[in-house]
Amino acid sequence: MKVTDEELMAYADGELSPVDAARIEAAVASDPDLALRLDAERKLRAALRGHLDPVAEEPVPDAWKAMIAAAAEEDKQVEERKVVSLAAARAEKAKKAAQDARETARARPFMQRWGTGVAIAASLALGVFMGTQLTLKGSVSDRDGTLVASGTLARGLDTQLAAASEEESLQILTSFQRRDGDYCRVFASGGTSGIACKDDRGWVLERTINGGTRQGTQYRQAGSANSELMAAAQDMAKGAPLDAEQEKAAKANGWKD
Amino acid sequence: MSMTRFCEELTALLPRLRRFARGLTQDSADADDLCQQTIERALKARQQWQEGTRLDAWVYRIMRNQWIDEVRARTRRSQTFAHEDEGMNVGVAGDRDAENRVELGNVERALQRLPEEQREAVVLVMVEGFGYKEAADILGIPQGTLTSRLGRGREALLRKLGEAA
Repeated sequence: MKVTDEELMAYADGELSPVDAARIEAAVASDPDLALRLDAERKLRAALRGHLDPVAEEPVPDAWKAMIAAAAEEDKQVEERKVVSLAAARAEKAKKAAQDARETARARPFMQRWGTGVAIAASLALGVFMGTQLTLKGSVSDRDGTLVASGTLARGLDTQLAAASEEESLQILTSFQRRDGDYCRVFASGGTSGIACKDDRGWVLERTINGGTRQGTQYRQAGSANSELMAAAQDMAKGAPLDAEQEKAAKANGWKD
Repeated sequence: MSMTRFCEELTALLPRLRRFARGLTQDSADADDLCQQTIERALKARQQWQEGTRLDAWVYRIMRNQWIDEVRARTRRSQTFAHEDEGMNVGVAGDRDAENRVELGNVERALQRLPEEQREAVVLVMVEGFGYKEAADILGIPQGTLTSRLGRGREALLRKLGEAA
């Protein structure tokens, strides 16, 4: 088997794959001339290293280490400056975020009022037509195109007094008599508020306001919705709302004159 | 790697760098000058070193290029000032000088007589222990060129040492 000088060199330099290296080793074992050439390669390497390796054993000049140490120190200071400026940038960013938050907080009340106003306006406009989709669903029925209270809402409107309704799911905000003499009640139940007036067949929902979804602004919206209803009630009412005694009497009389 | 670690690794590399410098220059004063210049260059260019690559190969390349520049500068100087009967040499120590230094060991003399391009290939692979690929990268030549220079250099050394033996 022929082994070229290049192959022998690559073998000596550890550049061959294990398979090729094994092939060279086998050839060397069976060829004294090849073994001699490999031996010469190894002696040459040992001679070169014997000549140059002692240089790596000499103590390195301090000046060289000092040069590198100075550069390392320089880098360290740059790093520190970077860290300092990074911290400053971070502080600046935090300051700006805080400022933004304050500005947003200042702006928010207006936005909320605006948003609430829109919600009220929208629900006032739609409420009558979308009555069956309100949260009072199941407590409202359709009577010849008119929304009429039924079920628990109807019972509540019949029996609850404004003063005693704090803990109930249905709250009666006020009761009044409208100009035609019908008794009306402003109520709030869940997310929906409304004005119901009693005619001879039941409680007709004159107005409903969907308070919207139950979120953080729920109270504000409900409050706004209720005050909106109270304003509407005042317009409908004949004089002042009923006091507790008048309400009790009206209830006892089945909300009829 | 942080720059602090770069500096630590460079410091750890100094003994090997010095050995390579001696292998290239074949002169201890030249070797130390070359080392100093290499450290300066490496530090100046330290931001350009890419993490994940071998620092030793990177610095060796700087050293070798620095040496090539030096050899060229010396060649220009010798072309300008040398007497016409003086033979030109690629390396620093010429044949005539080497012959005059009778005290030099066989290996050193043989290395000095090698052309620069063969000597750097031999030193990188056989002394510094780089693989063919890394050595070719350091020298900026194809691997085939490296193995050819390495083969010729090795043959020349074996012949010279054989004669001396």
